[in-house]
Amino acid sequence: MGSHRMGETGLSDSGPSTHHHHHHHLPYALLHGMNPSSTAFMSQDPAFDFGELEEAIVLQGVKIRNDESKAPLFTEEGGRPSASTTLEMFPSWPMRFHHQQQQGSSRSGGESTDSGSGVNTISSKAEANIEPESPISRKAASSSSDHYHFQHHQMDQLAVSNGGAGPSSSSHHHIQQQNQSADKPPNEKTLRRLAQNREAARKSRLRKKVQAYVQQLETSRIKLSQLEQELQRARQQGLFLGGCSGAGGNLSSAAAMFDMEYARWLEDDLRHMSELRAGLHAHLSDSDLRITVDRYISHYDEIFRLKGVTAKSDVFHLITGVWATPAERCFLWMGGFRPSELIKMLISQLDPLTEQQVMGIYSLQHSSQQAEEALSQGLDQLQQSLVDTIAGGPVIDGMQQMAVALGKLANLEGFVRQADNLRQQTLHQLRRILTVRQAARCFLVIGEYYGRLRALSSLWASRPRDTLMGDENSCQTTTDLQMVQPSQSHFTNF
Amino acid sequence: MYQTESWGSPYVPASGRNGVGSYSGGGGDPFERIERLAAESAVVIFSISSCCMCHAIKRLFCGMGVNPTVYELDQAGDPIAGKEMELALMRLIGASSAAALPVVFVGGKLVGAMDRVMASHINGTLVPLLKDAGALWL
Repeated sequence: MGSHRMGETGLSDSGPSTHHHHHHHLPYALLHGMNPSSTAFMSQDPAFDFGELEEAIVLQGVKIRNDESKAPLFTEEGGRPSASTTLEMFPSWPMRFHHQQQQGSSRSGGESTDSGSGVNTISSKAEANIEPESPISRKAASSSSDHYHFQHHQMDQLAVSNGGAGPSSSSHHHIQQQNQSADKPPNEKTLRRLAQNREAARKSRLRKKVQAYVQQLETSRIKLSQLEQELQRARQQGLFLGGCSGAGGNLSSAAAMFDMEYARWLEDDLRHMSELRAGLHAHLSDSDLRITVDRYISHYDEIFRLKGVTAKSDVFHLITGVWATPAERCFLWMGGFRPSELIKMLISQLDPLTEQQVMGIYSLQHSSQQAEEALSQGLDQLQQSLVDTIAGGPVIDGMQQMAVALGKLANLEGFVRQADNLRQQTLHQLRRILTVRQAARCFLVIGEYYGRLRALSSLWASRPRDTLMGDENSCQTTTDLQMVQPSQSHFTNF
Repeated sequence: MYQTESWGSPYVPASGRNGVGSYSGGGGDPFERIERLAAESAVVIFSISSCCMCHAIKRLFCGMGVNPTVYELDQAGDPIAGKEMELALMRLIGASSAAALPVVFVGGKLVGAMDRVMASHINGTLVPLLKDAGALWL
């Protein structure tokens, strides 16, 4: 056996060694000049850390020689108890290794080999065969002799890296020396190699963890899409999915429900808008376009109805605008858009209008302003009343005080509902004032406006900090209106 | 702004004056009382003094330049009469819950609670109504 080419000698004769796809073991193999195919032998034991075993073997030899404890290296990874003889060094090994030997197939699976240190197997097994009396060589079954030769050659390589010995004969000799429990203490190279083994073992374990995590993510993603589908199905069947626990306990179930429905509403919104756009482009007849327009109104009626339901359970969620994007939330009025602001935005977008229509729009703007003002003042009084209740004077009866305050707080629902009512009425009135085509255009503008406001929120969130960009925009008080201007040209075709 | 002590002359609360009997119990039923009071002024608001929505509706009319007559049902001479009227109003507007007030009458005719008032203001029917009732001149 003069040849040191692993692939040709050891593997060609041995059984389970025809797995040439273990290229993952290259790092270690390359390190030691091993043929990748030779690593087939490595991955037989799924749960055994050969890195530490290898250490144990080598160091045990040292211990026997020097009768010194090399505890740090030895016990780094829960090393084995020292034994006075080589035999007792591996109390459980014979059985396991025997089991391994009988395993016909090697464990593949690339880098996620279950053995934490698959890459180390060869060297450790090779090392294990140093001592002829080791259980491995003794218990090794059919392929043992072949493996021994194979490992012997590997040992040659290791010996080469070990002692820097060149030709095989000297390395053999070197091995022989080691076989006879050499008197030399483990040299630097051995220690380094052991460290490398540990490192490789660690990397392998880490890789395994990462793979497991990725696997988990994948499964979760699949589960998520399945749940979404179920949800869609259930929704279509009109089932009321109550009791969904909020994210991290921050959302009440009503709030979580609303957020979910709102997300769906946003999707529907996009769909309605493309319908409107298509209808306008196609120059549909008024009666056909009216259907689309009325559908869009119903679409808004739906969200107001939803908010009404949610207001009963969680008015704070609505009024604080948790469900809205930051830019929307910033300009939120009583849990939604401010009708007069919307009309102000629309006025320039709705040209051409008849004089009567112009008057109607301005009148609408005026009355919505008055209504908003009234509601705002009512809300102010509510706050004042609440403050008086919980802040006023000596606490004679805390619970009574709180009960009264709760009663007052309950009025919030009424205000949000009236505000939504105002918004709904405004949209309906717009529909009445405008012609069908104008109304289609109008709702398209509204939809696009809020779409851009939402987009603005995302852009803002992902903007690069420490730039002058922020300064440019800070002076604009009507950024939203200016943003909407460009759409004007978009509509002059109609 | 608006007159809140409309319980006053000629309807002085308590003591056995003639005017009192008209709505403070005994006399007519609450619906009749309501009807009578509503017909007496151009704009009549039945309210509760501590209610903020009632405050909002008062602000709405004042903001429009209207001078409504407000009856605070929790401050009626006879609390029972007041409660009766509140319940009657609840039935008039078809409210299922106890939050019936405020309720508005214009020109003696029922307009409704806050949502109806706002809707009629937005759809432009409130102002003509007010003008017809003589509550608004512009």
